[in-house]
Amino acid sequence: MGGEFNLRLKPGARPRIVLSYPDVYEIGVSNPALQILYSQLNDATPASAERAYCPWPDMADLMRVADVPLWTLETFAPVSECDLWGFTLPHELCYANVLEMLDLAGVPLHAAERDGGDPIVLGGGPAVANPWPLAPFFDAFFVGEVEDHLEAIVAAMQQDGREARLRALAAIPGMWMPGRSTQPAERQISMGFSTSDPVLRPVVPVLEAVHDRVVIEVMRGCTAGCRFCQAGMWYRPVRERPVDLVVAAADRLLDETGCDEVSLLSLSSCDYGGVAEALTRIRELRPGLRVSLPSLRIDSAAESLAGFAADQRGSLTLAPEAGTQVLRDAINKGVDEAQFDEAVRATFKGGFTGLKLYFMIGLPGETDEDVLGIARMAATAARLAREIGRGRARLSVSVSSYVPKAHTPFELEPFAGADTLRRRQQLVREAAPRGVRVAFHDVAASVVEATLARGGPGTDRLVEEAWRCGARFDGWSEHFDMRHWEQAAAVTGITLGEPTVASATWRDAVDARLDEDFFAGELERSRAGELTEDCRDGACAACGVCGGEIGMELLV
Amino acid sequence: MTWWLITFARRGSARYLSHLDTSRVVQRTFARAGVPIALSEGMRPKPRISLPLPLPVGAAGASELAVIEVPEGVEATTDVLKALRAASPPGVEPLHIVDAGERHPRPQASAAEYACVLDGDAGAIAAAVERYSDAEHAIRERVSPKGTRRLDLKDYAGDVVATPVEGGARVGFTIRRRSDGAARPQELIDLIAEWAEVEPVMRGLERLGIAWDHGLPSPQAGQRKELST
Repeated sequence: MGGEFNLRLKPGARPRIVLSYPDVYEIGVSNPALQILYSQLNDATPASAERAYCPWPDMADLMRVADVPLWTLETFAPVSECDLWGFTLPHELCYANVLEMLDLAGVPLHAAERDGGDPIVLGGGPAVANPWPLAPFFDAFFVGEVEDHLEAIVAAMQQDGREARLRALAAIPGMWMPGRSTQPAERQISMGFSTSDPVLRPVVPVLEAVHDRVVIEVMRGCTAGCRFCQAGMWYRPVRERPVDLVVAAADRLLDETGCDEVSLLSLSSCDYGGVAEALTRIRELRPGLRVSLPSLRIDSAAESLAGFAADQRGSLTLAPEAGTQVLRDAINKGVDEAQFDEAVRATFKGGFTGLKLYFMIGLPGETDEDVLGIARMAATAARLAREIGRGRARLSVSVSSYVPKAHTPFELEPFAGADTLRRRQQLVREAAPRGVRVAFHDVAASVVEATLARGGPGTDRLVEEAWRCGARFDGWSEHFDMRHWEQAAAVTGITLGEPTVASATWRDAVDARLDEDFFAGELERSRAGELTEDCRDGACAACGVCGGEIGMELLV
Repeated sequence: MTWWLITFARRGSARYLSHLDTSRVVQRTFARAGVPIALSEGMRPKPRISLPLPLPVGAAGASELAVIEVPEGVEATTDVLKALRAASPPGVEPLHIVDAGERHPRPQASAAEYACVLDGDAGAIAAAVERYSDAEHAIRERVSPKGTRRLDLKDYAGDVVATPVEGGARVGFTIRRRSDGAARPQELIDLIAEWAEVEPVMRGLERLGIAWDHGLPSPQAGQRKELST
């Protein structure tokens, strides 16, 4: 759609860089990573950064019929004429959309088929933790936080000719180039994060996007140490922005966006050292301003909720993740029943009218008993909703399927598989208290996700074949069709959702700076039901990230 | 409390905004410019803003109208207009503000002038336009979920003019609103295109101007003042 507030236009500027999120505009425009890149590239480098998102299938079909190539929202010029095309890759189920966008743009799918007239295609974002399923489609992947390397990337694009540009890119730390790099790329960490301003002039859509509020990244990284969580490993170490900086940014952003809500973004915002002070001071900036936290940890939820005023509306999500103490200890989510009770009470007492509980099934070491625990916790919450919420409170339960991810202690643990997941979904469904809405993830989609999350070299054939069979927008239940993937699996001979993974092939491409011994130790402790402390106030868990210039930056 | 009548243009990519999105954009522009909008009363206060004549998605508008209530003490100064312009997104441009006083103005459009380009043989399009102008009646059926309604386009659409342009003809026309409603630009263009045997695609549809019942408050009327640059 384009035409947004704070749209940047730099006519004639070179290099011309296109930034893409492989989903529809309404989802992609709110992505914080693209907002950072868009601002920094346009405002601090000679480059012109433009944007393109994935057109919805009806539009894509019309574009093909009318022979209209994918264009950018800024200049309406074809994406294929840019110098560099950067994709942020959020998750596995958007991989087919990457191919869809390349094809719509008229850019050859395989890097090997591109020549001087084609853009260099660069991938980034969390899914680069395992780049193999997309490797041949990209000229390069950047591993980690790119803020400190944007100038070098722009400079590389100022070289003459494709080969010179690729050579210059290859020299940038964190760059992994399929077929060219001889060693894994080291994940880059921007240690300037805590002293830098968040995006102060974000693009504000003129139509309704999924997130219509001021978003301020207050902290990067999380050391709670949940053993299933890829983000909790990938974004280490923890770095916090000072409260003064956050409040000043909120003030400026409220003017800049015209929003009336501020959200403090991070992986676990109630762990942010300045959370209470920031909440209070931001609320004082404007009358009637709403401040929200995207996620609350149960062990500190009650405390955090006290930071809100009593006039809260809407709903809140709590994530116990697992149904029993034993399993919560195994995944290092050390929450007990009393803390859970207290958090639920605090939610309804705080005036929230909706509560969503988030669980996973298919975790390593899970038993049927653990799964039934989900229903028991839902029943407890339902009882508290009746008692405290007095009929106004709504409770919903979301049960997703765990998919083991690269660079986590569970990275080589078996995927539970479709049969087990379906059976356990049924267990929860039957045991769930009456009147509570329980939503499940589509098991088939999880099978695809599991295949790609740890897929090794060659998995790209599966992605390409599935896209050729019609796969696109796999993250949308109305578009996901397992038959595309089953057909592709039959053609390529790749087994979907293979329960065991032979080796951590992602390490050949990506050095996440996480110690293998740390993972081995965490896996052992998981099996023994032992908790590992958060290193921000407990002992160092020797994950291997800190050292040299890299370290935690905490507010005291 | 006082009411403002703001005239603004909507062009470029802003053409594709829906009615509700246009309203939201005006509202957000005020917020960005730091100009408060009065809120309705009740459980969920809403900003007091209305766009009396919706502009179709895809159409540009040269002088559209927004009716907005602002709190006591907020004045429609040149600085406010400048701030609103600076805070607008690409394609939306506030043109002037008229302070309409304390009574809620409820402007009713009586007619609107449009223009668009039809691709194809300019001669055939001109002939179709002439046939329409000469016709006594031009009966069309309008099918809606409520049923089929017959309407005579000649009662609603007139002043149709065709001018040759590259690849086709620019068709200008006026739609009048009567007590029983109005015709849609597409309904007239469907007929012209059918007679001219060209595709009924309105390229670059623009609403050039709107006539309002009893006119709009003008800067000359009493204490009301108009601003423009």
